[in-house]
Amino acid sequence: MSAVEIGLWSFPVLLLIIFLRAPIGLAMLVCGIGGMWMVTGSPNIVLAKLKTETYSTFSSYSLSIVPIFLLMGYLAGIGGMSRALFKAAEAFLGHYRGGTAMAAVGACAGFGAICGSSLATAATMAQVALPELRRAGYAGGLSTATLAAGGTLGILIPPSVILVVYATLTEQNIAKLFLAAFIPGILAAIGYVLVIALYVRIYPHSAGRQPRMGYAERWQSLLAVWPVILVFIAVVGGIYTGIFTPTEGASVGALGTGVIAWASGELTWAKLWQALMSTAVATAMIFFIVLGAAFFNAFLALTQVPQLISTFVIEQGYGPWLVLTIILVMYLLLGCVMDSLSMILLTIPIFFPMMSGLDFGMSQEHMAIWFGILVLIVVEVGLITPPVGLNLFVINAMDRTTPIRETYKAVMFFVATDLVRVAILAAFPAITLFLLT
Amino acid sequence: MQRLISRLALASATAGGVVLVALIVMTCASIVGRALIDFGLGPVTGDFELVEAGIAFSVFAFLPLCQLRAGHATVDVFTSALPDGANRVLLAVWECVAALALALIAWRLGAGLVQKVGNGETTFLLQFPVWWAYAACSVPATVAVIVAAWSAADRVRAVFTGHDTRPIGGESVH
Repeated sequence: MSAVEIGLWSFPVLLLIIFLRAPIGLAMLVCGIGGMWMVTGSPNIVLAKLKTETYSTFSSYSLSIVPIFLLMGYLAGIGGMSRALFKAAEAFLGHYRGGTAMAAVGACAGFGAICGSSLATAATMAQVALPELRRAGYAGGLSTATLAAGGTLGILIPPSVILVVYATLTEQNIAKLFLAAFIPGILAAIGYVLVIALYVRIYPHSAGRQPRMGYAERWQSLLAVWPVILVFIAVVGGIYTGIFTPTEGASVGALGTGVIAWASGELTWAKLWQALMSTAVATAMIFFIVLGAAFFNAFLALTQVPQLISTFVIEQGYGPWLVLTIILVMYLLLGCVMDSLSMILLTIPIFFPMMSGLDFGMSQEHMAIWFGILVLIVVEVGLITPPVGLNLFVINAMDRTTPIRETYKAVMFFVATDLVRVAILAAFPAITLFLLT
Repeated sequence: MQRLISRLALASATAGGVVLVALIVMTCASIVGRALIDFGLGPVTGDFELVEAGIAFSVFAFLPLCQLRAGHATVDVFTSALPDGANRVLLAVWECVAALALALIAWRLGAGLVQKVGNGETTFLLQFPVWWAYAACSVPATVAVIVAAWSAADRVRAVFTGHDTRPIGGESVH
């Protein structure tokens, strides 16, 4: 077999073993090592590479931000900030029909500003909001779907772990990607609120109403969320203005969040340890996939398959917009079965060179940022699409009284707004890019 | 045995967590030092290098717990329709492969350590020998192999006995 043939065969083999339940990072690692062995004809090169590759992958300065953001998110879950955010959002929105669910979306958006992970946002906010939604008489399906969808704001609104990985893969500026994600994130929150307004008009019995609160009470509740605002401004503002490197910004955020949690009196040694152990498992999972992807992509580069695919697509003369549409649809389909980080690490090395070769009428850097945001949104849709939406599972595990079928039904409304938003952002790149110019 | 392995994995993850927290505090101290440079303070010399070496240690130290708790991302929608017995076999196969892969990684890390001792490579600013970081990482890398080997043996045993010590379903949170 020629190197190109080995490279092309590696895709079905990799997918097959992933679908046979091999851990994704392990599958990529094994295919990468095996493939390199086959292409070079001896194990020596891959064994030599293994001497330093694992250490240098794990000691990446740009990825060091990942465990720090994860810890920050878990600490934020302890400090009562999630409750303060929910109470503040409810004070402003609770008296509308569906207002408590809208408040949950608002609180998710606020929590997303200090947490870089969807699952952590969904799980933390569900703890606070699910009982309140129940008390206010909301239908189970609407409640769980709202929180699952709201959880995706954790990753759309900066900071975002997925964007850090994308920035590392494509050698883009993390600060600019964070800034570009901001407006699409806000649009997502607005879209979810509109969906709830629509849903409660179609199914009037699915929601209740809370008494209207006076403005004094509203401002009072808003005061309680100042720590969240402070941390967000320090982290994202500090990184963007260049006062901090991203790792420094994340460290300030993690320490600040820890101090706030400690000041609230809720941070015990046991809880700190729990947060560290959750960080440990999530970090190891992410870095193991990154390691596997490093080997798989080094192998693919050796076979030159990524360049060949990209040249092939460009030579066919397909329009850039058609290629973009096909890529986004592929992410949506893959997202039904695979988690977002694995998808990005698996596909960006193929898709990104392809995108770079096409002319979208914008600079290379703008294309990279805009494409990154679009990919971020479509892979996040995967978190809430049945049958394998991880957010749906997390929320469902916390609310055993709601059958998952009802969650599936209600969440399709949220998926619909996601698709509309992707179409709008793809058609009008300026919405994503204008903050950068 | 299971309790011992579990303690080993938790101890390793705790060590990694302590290093992670220390790096965060050090980075913040470095920022304060840089801000107060007019008052005779300064940033921590080589803070980048410390972060890189420290994060590598933390990640290695986090691997055993992830292995033990089956925290790795998988796609289980296609296998969830299979009977428990088939899933046990698949789990056992992949855990064996994982143990071998981790052993390979630890072995080559050791070879890398020998190489770095030999060539005397140091970091740019702090001038500390790179093999120190390799040596530190070798400890949790070895723990990861031990934990993964136990985990694989445990899954193989479950294939034959049908009795699981850890969940086999895919509903665990990744």
